[in-house]
Amino acid sequence: MKLRSSMVIAACAAALAAAPAWAQFKPTKPVEFIVHTGPGGGADVLARFIAQVVEKENLAPVRFQVNNKSGGGGLTAMAYVAEKKGDTHAIAVFTGNWLTNPLTRAEAKYTVKDMTPVARLVLEPALVAVKGDAPYKTLKDFIEAAKKAPGTMKQSGGSITSRDNVVRQLLMKESGSSWAYISFPGGGERIAALLGGHVNMMVVEPQEAGEHIKAGNMRVIAQVSDKRLAGFPNVPTIKEAGYDIPNVPQVRGIVMPAGVAPDVLAYYEDLFLRITKTATWRKYLEEQQFEDGYMKSAELTKFFDVYSDQMRGILKEAGAKVVR
Amino acid sequence: MEVLTSLGHGFAVAFAPLNLFWCFVGVFLGTVVGVLPGLGPAATIAMLLPLTFSMPPTTAVIMLAGIYYGAKYGGSTTAILLNVPGESASVVTCLDGYQMARKGRAGAALGIAAISSFIAGTVGVIGLMLLAPPLAKFGLSFSSPEYFALMAMGLAMVVLLAGASMVKALLAMLVGLWIASMGIDLFSDASRFTFGQSELLDGVDFVIVAIGVFALGEVFGNMEKRGEGTMLPVPKGLRNLLPTMAELKACRFAFLNGSIIGFIIGVLPGAGSTVASFISYGIEKAVSKHPEKFGTGVPEGVAAPEGANNSETGGAMVPLLTLGIPGSGTTAILLAAFILWGLRPGPLMIQDNPELFWGLIASMYVGNIMLLVLNLPLIPLFAQILKLREYFLYPIIFGISIVGVYSVSGSLFDCWLLAVFGLLGYVMRRLDYPSAPLILGLVLGDSMERALRQSLMMSQGDLGILVSRPISAVMLLLTIALLFLPLFRKANAWRIKAIEENG
Repeated sequence: MKLRSSMVIAACAAALAAAPAWAQFKPTKPVEFIVHTGPGGGADVLARFIAQVVEKENLAPVRFQVNNKSGGGGLTAMAYVAEKKGDTHAIAVFTGNWLTNPLTRAEAKYTVKDMTPVARLVLEPALVAVKGDAPYKTLKDFIEAAKKAPGTMKQSGGSITSRDNVVRQLLMKESGSSWAYISFPGGGERIAALLGGHVNMMVVEPQEAGEHIKAGNMRVIAQVSDKRLAGFPNVPTIKEAGYDIPNVPQVRGIVMPAGVAPDVLAYYEDLFLRITKTATWRKYLEEQQFEDGYMKSAELTKFFDVYSDQMRGILKEAGAKVVR
Repeated sequence: MEVLTSLGHGFAVAFAPLNLFWCFVGVFLGTVVGVLPGLGPAATIAMLLPLTFSMPPTTAVIMLAGIYYGAKYGGSTTAILLNVPGESASVVTCLDGYQMARKGRAGAALGIAAISSFIAGTVGVIGLMLLAPPLAKFGLSFSSPEYFALMAMGLAMVVLLAGASMVKALLAMLVGLWIASMGIDLFSDASRFTFGQSELLDGVDFVIVAIGVFALGEVFGNMEKRGEGTMLPVPKGLRNLLPTMAELKACRFAFLNGSIIGFIIGVLPGAGSTVASFISYGIEKAVSKHPEKFGTGVPEGVAAPEGANNSETGGAMVPLLTLGIPGSGTTAILLAAFILWGLRPGPLMIQDNPELFWGLIASMYVGNIMLLVLNLPLIPLFAQILKLREYFLYPIIFGISIVGVYSVSGSLFDCWLLAVFGLLGYVMRRLDYPSAPLILGLVLGDSMERALRQSLMMSQGDLGILVSRPISAVMLLLTIALLFLPLFRKANAWRIKAIEENG
């Protein structure tokens, strides 16, 4: 098993790099690791992986215990974290949804402003794909086709607040074209709609698309990423394809409750820095085709503001009702 | 011939002692989580995933798949004995299964469920083995307009599920559709009918409504009749614990119907096993010689939906293995597991990983036999629960229901919701509203609305898209035929009566 051998290597690497414990704070009981999805969801898989790395490589004196607080489209978990104000033994995985959902949902009682940003960990790039036998060889081909027949081209994707739609909105504005956006709840259905020829284009994660590309059923025409992914050296990024739009990463990282002392924050900040330096983590990023998006607390705080502002504008343009 | 050689290799893999052992562990765990309401196969697989990292991938896949199809077997047990649907697909089994138990045929109902599950499960695997690649293509030709037509056909089943009053059935269905519309709207990101409660943003979990309306409603209703001695008749003797030849014969068509409908609907990524069980039950009733007896405890009413929800598993494996497209929560987690092991389900999987593909198929044959052997002897044991006096039984049903609901989300809000739906179930029972149409509306409402809106977005608002595509047009025609079926029956009854009077 690839995974196991890499863990052994990583364990050795960690032993060599035994990090200095300069922070005064140390957790004294198991740390509660909150995620907003049920077992098996994206954030849950990430949290369980991190918990495993911490345990295997002995990075913390205590265990990390994953707690699934699903429901409310993520708001349940957010409220749970926000209401734990001052708790030094609780951390949570945040995703882009934690930033976007409160913008459109009046039911949200809290935003990430009510929490302490700890670290940004990964950026998930994406691919713009068309069906394998589609006439569009480049992003330009697709956009020109959309310009010729406005409204007849279709894209499958998730909810209108998802990254898929944000990329579409930005591309349409930049190029002065327009095409329809059809929401499907599951990733499988989105791909099925493309492969069945019911839509013309989709924004897809490299993981999901891999086999379809290999089998020739799907063609990648651009990458939603700052630089080209290792697996797709010949496909241009959207910018390289000639459309100057800001990169919209799918982001994941760690937050904790508000009202914790600076040494507590420093401890977790340092812990996650050490996690991202392990060989296991590197391997994980590579396998999942994620980009390293590490950012410290101070930078992340600024990122939250910038991201929220950007999303607010995009959502308004997309016709969503923005409440904050 | 090539298939047989490959299958032979597959059996060699499946019969390796290690694989045989983990296959058994998988189907056993599956049966257990199926019996317990709430905790479903998806959550179980996700939680056990880390345990499988130390296994060879084929063994791990064999075990996790065992949990998936094993859960479908277990789901019928509490549905039949306690009117508590163990998982969403066994709601339909409650309709006739629980009535059979009330008539003292609990053992027979459980037996028929197990046999039907076995037959349909096996047919599903045969379908998966022989038809996987061409069928996957057929599945892709289905898109939103076809799903809308399929859901419309499912919703038209309401005319078959209605009891004495069609108006009451339609009202119940509308309430179901309304509940289905609660939560965040995917298309506009607006929240609907949440009453400002963030807990309602994800909508109302189907399991809560089903357990509340069926199980708690039934208990409330029975508690009212205190002193009447409502203890269920307990089957005595081996003969009463197994289905009779006559009952099995009555199920002949249901076995076939359930197997085929379940498999076809399983292949479609956007439908699901609950839809499959409703449709096969509806078809069974529509072609039956005695449709009026459905809902009073006929064995076909158990065999058809149980078969459909088991053969759906084989069907759902088709898009998963050959396209890498998951059709349900459970298959999505299986896909995540495959990827973790570095296996990529997709068009190339059968060529690249024949050992895994054929090993899995062979293990599903073996697993189905294990499940039958495991479940049949458990029937007398489970049937004993009916010997309990009501003051023991009712608290147990309450406990199982509350724990089941809490285990899904870990939220107390959902437990309160359960109480609300329990009361709703009681009121509906008192006022003689059928509960099945409510569940039908709830199951289909969301996906039907979605399919319609997607279709209209595809056609830029032209409703013609629903009838201009052949598959959807045919299904809509069938829907109309279905809606007129009761009228036709009534007319026929008058005609016969008139002939008799004249003659």
